[in-house]
Amino acid sequence: MNLLDQFFVIVAVALISIAMLRNIKVNSIVSTLWYVLMVVMLARMSSVAYNADTITSAFSIELLGFRMYWKFTALSWFFSIITVVSALASSLFMSGDWGKQYRQQGGNYGLLQLALILNVVSMLILLASGDLLSLFIGWEFVSWASFLMMVLMPSKTAKKAAVKYVIYAIVGAMALLAALAMVYASSGSLDFTQITDAFIQMTDNMKFGFVLLFFIGFAIKMGLLPFHLWQAVAYAETPGPGAAFLGAISSRMGLFTILVVIVQFIGLGNLEEMNIALPYLNMKSLLAWIAALTTIIPTYIALQQHDAKRLLAWHGVGQGGYMLLGIMMYDSIGSAGGLMHVLNHASYQAALFLTVVAVVYRTGTSDLNKLGGLVTQMPLTFLVMLIGIIGLAGLPPMNGFVSKWMVYRSLLVNGEPLLFVAAVLGTLGTILSVYKLIHNTFLGQLRVEHQQVREVPWSMMVPMLGLSVIVFITGFMPGLILPWIASIQETIGLPVVTYHLGGIEYAKGGLDMIWVSGILFYGFGVGALIFYFLGGKAKRIHQYDNYAGGHFLSSEVKYHYSNNFYPGLMHLIGNWYRGSFKWMENVIVSALSFVSKLFENMYRSRQPVMLLVLVAVVALFSIYKNYSGAGS
Amino acid sequence: MNHLILLVVLPLLSAFIIPVVAKHSLTISRLIGPVVLVFILALVVLSWNSVGSNGFAIFLGGFLPPVGIVFYIDHFSLMLSGLIAGMLLIVWPWNSYVAPRQYSLYMLLTAASFGLVLSADLFNLYVFYELLAVATYGLIARQKNPAAAVAALRYLFVSATGSAMLLLGIAIIYTLTGTLNIAHLATMTDQLHGLAGLSAFALIVIGAGVKAEMFLLNTWVPEVYSTIETPLAALLAGLISKLATVLIIRVLLMLFQQSEVLQMLLVVGVFGVISGEMVAWRAKDMLRMLSFSSIAQLGMIFIAFSIAGEVGLWIGLAMMLHHLLVKGGLFLLADKMQGSFDNLRGYAKRSAMAVAIFIIFILSLLGIPPFPGFWIKLMLILNLAEQNNTLYHYAIGFILLATVIEAAYLFKLVRYLFQDEEAATIVSTPKSLTFWYAQIFALVLLVSLAFISPISNRLKDMASQVANPDIYINTILPSHLSGGNP
Amino acid sequence: MSFVEIISELVLMPLIAFVVGLMMVLMMRKISARLQRRIGPPFFQPIYDIVKLYGKDTQVSHGLIHDIGIVMAVGGYIGAEILLPVPGMEGIADKGGIITLSYFLMIPSLGMALGVGQCANPNGSIGISRALTAMLAYDIPFIIVVFGAAWHYESTSLIGMIEYQQANAWGIIEMPFLAIAGLFALQGMLGKQPFEIYIAPAEIATGPMVEMSGKYMGGLFVMQTFQLYTAGVLYASLFLGGGESWLDLLPKAFLVVAIPMSIAFLFPRYKTEDLIRILWKWPVMLALIGLAFIL
Repeated sequence: MNLLDQFFVIVAVALISIAMLRNIKVNSIVSTLWYVLMVVMLARMSSVAYNADTITSAFSIELLGFRMYWKFTALSWFFSIITVVSALASSLFMSGDWGKQYRQQGGNYGLLQLALILNVVSMLILLASGDLLSLFIGWEFVSWASFLMMVLMPSKTAKKAAVKYVIYAIVGAMALLAALAMVYASSGSLDFTQITDAFIQMTDNMKFGFVLLFFIGFAIKMGLLPFHLWQAVAYAETPGPGAAFLGAISSRMGLFTILVVIVQFIGLGNLEEMNIALPYLNMKSLLAWIAALTTIIPTYIALQQHDAKRLLAWHGVGQGGYMLLGIMMYDSIGSAGGLMHVLNHASYQAALFLTVVAVVYRTGTSDLNKLGGLVTQMPLTFLVMLIGIIGLAGLPPMNGFVSKWMVYRSLLVNGEPLLFVAAVLGTLGTILSVYKLIHNTFLGQLRVEHQQVREVPWSMMVPMLGLSVIVFITGFMPGLILPWIASIQETIGLPVVTYHLGGIEYAKGGLDMIWVSGILFYGFGVGALIFYFLGGKAKRIHQYDNYAGGHFLSSEVKYHYSNNFYPGLMHLIGNWYRGSFKWMENVIVSALSFVSKLFENMYRSRQPVMLLVLVAVVALFSIYKNYSGAGS
Repeated sequence: MNHLILLVVLPLLSAFIIPVVAKHSLTISRLIGPVVLVFILALVVLSWNSVGSNGFAIFLGGFLPPVGIVFYIDHFSLMLSGLIAGMLLIVWPWNSYVAPRQYSLYMLLTAASFGLVLSADLFNLYVFYELLAVATYGLIARQKNPAAAVAALRYLFVSATGSAMLLLGIAIIYTLTGTLNIAHLATMTDQLHGLAGLSAFALIVIGAGVKAEMFLLNTWVPEVYSTIETPLAALLAGLISKLATVLIIRVLLMLFQQSEVLQMLLVVGVFGVISGEMVAWRAKDMLRMLSFSSIAQLGMIFIAFSIAGEVGLWIGLAMMLHHLLVKGGLFLLADKMQGSFDNLRGYAKRSAMAVAIFIIFILSLLGIPPFPGFWIKLMLILNLAEQNNTLYHYAIGFILLATVIEAAYLFKLVRYLFQDEEAATIVSTPKSLTFWYAQIFALVLLVSLAFISPISNRLKDMASQVANPDIYINTILPSHLSGGNP
Repeated sequence: MSFVEIISELVLMPLIAFVVGLMMVLMMRKISARLQRRIGPPFFQPIYDIVKLYGKDTQVSHGLIHDIGIVMAVGGYIGAEILLPVPGMEGIADKGGIITLSYFLMIPSLGMALGVGQCANPNGSIGISRALTAMLAYDIPFIIVVFGAAWHYESTSLIGMIEYQQANAWGIIEMPFLAIAGLFALQGMLGKQPFEIYIAPAEIATGPMVEMSGKYMGGLFVMQTFQLYTAGVLYASLFLGGGESWLDLLPKAFLVVAIPMSIAFLFPRYKTEDLIRILWKWPVMLALIGLAFIL
C-alpha cells in the first residue's frame, strides 16, 4: 500500500461512513474530520507537488481488454488539494447552525453531506485517472455527482437547471466518447500516450474533429462559450455550501482534463500548427479566443443579475476564461497564471459564496434589491466579502491579482492586444459587478427588518475566515503555490516558470508581491496616520441623519440605491444582450422537434400496410437496379 | 438429449389441454402453465452443461436432413429458451382473473417462441413465426380497452402482410435451391447470391422485421405497446422482438453474410435509433415513450449486428440481454407508473423505491458508467470506430446524438417525477407483483455489474459458436463434409 | 538598495507628489480662472483649503467603513506614488511595473466607493455607479495605450520604458496616435469636463462627495492632488521620455495636466451613456490605429 492507496482507502471509508451515519451531529463532526484527514494525506503526498513525482496506485481493473489504473501527478495533486480544502470549508460551514436551519426548512442534511462527499470522491477518481477509460468514467461520476447536488433544492428552477445540466453533460460525454473512439480506432488502446500517436497519424480534417470533440466535452463542464448557459443557474440553485463547493472547483474538472488531454498529450505546439484560416487563426488561438469571450460575456451577464448567488455563479463561468486564456498562451508565465488562477478562484469564490450564504442564513434572501447596510450588523462577513471581491476583481494585494497579472504579462509578451483588451474588459466588468454586490448587500441603508440581524455563528465564520486568509496569504506570498505550479508545468510539458517567494522573476518586469503588498500597506498606514492623527475628531451619526435635499429621513423613507445599479451603462449596452445563445439553443430544439414530428407522422401513418408494401417494393427494386447495373 | 424437444411439445400440448381441463377444474388449468414453464426452465438449466461447444441437432420423426424437421441446439438457443421461460413466468397473469383461453394463448406463444429459437429450417421457422403472430393477435385483442382492439387490428394487418412476404421469400429460396434446411442452404450459398436470392432475403428481412421493430416496418409498435397491459408489453418489447431479430440474424449469418447486406442492416438500424429516440422525445406518456425507446434500442441492436464477425455478434447479444432486462424492467415498472407525464408529477414522494429503480434503469439504458449499459455502449462504439468504413463512423455520430435526445426526454420525465407541487392524490407505495419483479430486474442488473468479465466471456464463446456456419453445418449435416451433398 | 534609500523613497516620493500635486491644483484653478477672466486664488490657497478642511469642528462619520474608505483612497495613492519612478528615486518602483500600477490606481477609487457606499446616501451611490461606469469607459482606451507602450518598449517596467525613450526617441513621436488616445483617456480619468457626470453638482448633489465633510473632504482633496500628479508623471513617463532630472520632468507633467484643464470648459457635460459611447469610439479607434502601426 503506497500513499495513494492509503489515501483512496481513507476516501472510500469516509464515503461509507458518511453514507451510513444517521446521527446528524456525529455525521457533521465525522465528515469534517475526514476532510481534515484527507488534507493530511495529501500533505504527506506533497513530494508529488514539489518534485513532480508520480505515485501510481497498486489497484487496477482489467475489464473487456482494457486496463484501468489510477495515479497521482503534480496536476492531480494540485486539483485534489483544492477540492478537498473546498469540501472541508463547505462541510465545516454546514456542520453547525447552518445545517440546523437547513433541516428546519425541510432539507435533508444527511443527503447534502453525502452529495458533498460523493462529489469529492468522484473528483478524486477523475483526478487520479491513469488512462482515457478511467478518465471517462471519472468524468461521468463527476457529472452525476454534481447533478445529485443540484437536485437537492426543492425549487422548480433548480430542477429545470439540473435537467438542463444533464443534457449538456450528456452532450459533453458523448463528444468525449466519440473522441475516445477515434483514439481506439487508430491504436486499439485507450492509454493516454495513444492520444499523441493517434493525433500524429490523422489527416488535417480529422485532427480538427478530434481536438474539437475533446474540447467540446471538456468545455461543457467548464461552461466555456458557447456552452455557458447551463452553469450559473445550476450552481446558484444548490443548497448554500454546496453552491460554494461546486462554484469553487467542480467546473474546473473541465480544465483539468483539458490540461491532461489537450495540453499534455495532444500538445499546444501541435494545435498551433493547425491552421484554420489565415495565418492568424490557428486552433490554439481559436481556443484562446473562446477563452477571452468566456471572460467577457458571462461577466457582463453577471453584471445584470440581481441575485447574489447567480451573480457569483456567472462570474465563476467568466473566470474560467482567464484560466484557459493563460494556458493557451503556451509560455511559462501565462500558463502559470492560468493554473494559479484555479486555486485563487476556488479560494475567493468559495469565500464569496459562503458570505452570501451567511447573509441568506440571517436575512433569508440573496436578492440584491432587498438587502443593504448589513455591514454594521455583520462586520466580519463584510470583511470576508471585501477580501473576496478584491480577489475576484483581481486587485492587489489579494491572490486574484497575482494570477491575472501573470496572464496579462503573458498577453503583453506575446503581443495579443485584442485578447489583452478582452481580458481587461472582463476585469472591469467584474469590478463593476462586485461593487454592486458588496454595496447592495452590506453598504447603503440598513432595512428596518434587518436591524436585529447579528453576525453569523463561529461554525460558519471560521471557514469563511480561513478561506480569506488563504486568499490573502497566497496573494502576499505566491511563492508558496508556485513550486506546485512549476511541477505541473514540468509534468505536462509546458515551459517552467521561475519564481521566488514573492512572485515571478521575468526579464523586463517581474512581480514581487511582498514588495507590492508592503508598499500598499505602507500607503494605507500613512493614510491612516493622516486620517486619525490630523484634523478634528469625527462624530458618528445615524444613517437617517443624512443629506436629503432639505427633507428629513426616517425608517419609512427608502433611501437606498440598488435596483438597476448601472443605468447609464445598461442604457447603452442593454441592447447588446440579445440572448443569442439562448436563441441558438431554441433553434436546435425546434429543428429537432420538426424532424421528430416528421418521424412521428410516419409512425402514425394511417396506411401501415401500404408503407410496408412500399418498403418491400423499393427494396426489391433497388436490388434489381443494383444487379442490372452490375450486370451491364 | 432428445428430451429438449419437450421445449416445444409441452407448451403446445398444454395450450390445447388447458381449455379442456378448465371445464373440470379452473385451478388446475391455471397451474398447468406455470408448472410447465418451471419444468422447462429446470430442463434448460440442467442440460446446459451437457451441450458441448459445438451444439447438437435433433432430428424429428427419424427423417435425416435435409428432408426432416431439425432442431438445432447450442448454448445460444438454450439461453434464449431459458429467457423465454423465465420471462413468461414473470409476465404470467397470476392474480387477475383471466379466461383459460388466455392461458392457452400464452402457452401457444411459448411453444412458438421455443420453436422459433430451435428450428433449423426455414419452413418451420415460418410456421412458428405465424404461430407466434396468431398468439399475440389473440393476446392483444383480448385487452379490455377499445384502443387495444384498434391497435390489434393494425398489428394484424401489418403482421399478416409481413408474414406473406416472409412466405414469399421462403418460397423463392425453395424454388432456387429445392431445400429449406438452413444448413443445407448454407452449403450452396453461391446459388443464393443472385438477384432472386437477394430479393428473397429482402422479403424475409422485411417479413421478420415487422416483429423485430425494424425501421419503417414498426408502425404498429407504439399503438400496441401503449394500449396493452404492461406485462404483455414487457414480453413483446423485451422478448418477442428479440426472437424475430434472432431469426433475421440466423438467416443473415448462414446465408447472406455480405458487406452490402450488413450495411443495409446498419442503415436500417441507424434510422431506427434516430426515429425512435426522436419520437420518444415528443411522447407525452410513459408507455408511448418506452415503446419508442424500444424501437430505438432495437435499432441499436441491428447496428451491433451489422458489425461483421464475432465481435458484432457478441455485442449484439449483450445488447439484447441488456435491453431485455432494462426495457422489461421499465415496462414492469410502468405497470404502476403509467399514464401521461402530468399524472406522474411528484411520483418520487409516492414511491421513492420505484423512482430509484427507474433511475437505475434509465442510467443503464443511457450508458452511464458503471452500469452494464455503459460497457456495452462503449464496446459498440469502439468497435464501430474500428471498422474500415465511414458509414460505420457516421453511425457512431448518430448513436451519440440519439443518446443525447434519450437523456433529454428521460430526464424531463425524471423532473416530473421529482416535482413537488400539486401532488394531488398521494397514493400509497405500489405493492404489486410487477413491482417486485422490477426490483428483481434492477437487482440482477446491479449484480451483473460484478460479473462483467465472465458474462462477456460467455457471450463471446456463444458468439463464436453462432458466428461459425461450419459448426452449424457439421452438426446438422454430418455427411456434408465427408460425403458431399446427400 | 540601502536601507536609507528605501526609507527616503518611502517618505519622499509621496511627499513630493503631494507638494507637486498641490501646485497642480493651484495651476488648475488659475487656468480655469483665467479662462473665466478672473484672477484666481493666491499661491497658498490649496494649503489653506486643506488646513481648513482638516481643522473643521463638525466631522461627520457614517461608520468605520466610511473612515476606512478615506484611508484607502489616500493610502492607495501613496502606494501608487512609490511605484511611479521619478528622477533619482526608482529603486522601489522597479518592483512594480505598469500593470501593477494601473491596478494600484483602482484601489483609491474602490476605497472611495466603499466609503461612499457606507454613507447610505443614494446621491453618493449614484455618483459611484456613474464613476465606475466612467472607469469602464476610459480604461478601455487607456489599457490599449498601455499595451501599445509596453509592446513598443518591450517592457512592463516604467523604468525600462523611460530608458528606452531616453536612448531612442520619445513615445509621442514614435506612437503619436497612441499618445493622443492616451490624452483622451486622461481627460476621462481626471474626471474633467465633459466627463464629470459622476460629480454633477446640480443633479446628484456632488455625488460621491455628498456626505463628505471636514477631513473626509480633506482626504478627497489630498487624493485629488495625488491624482493630478500621477496622471502628469505617468503620461510623461509613457510618452514624453520621463525626466532625467526633476527640472526635466516637472514641466512635462505640468504641461500634461494643463491640457485637460484648458480644454475642459469647451465642452458640455455628457450623459453617462454618451460618455461611454464617445470614449469607446474615438480614443479606442485612435489607439487601435496606433497599435496597428507599431505591431
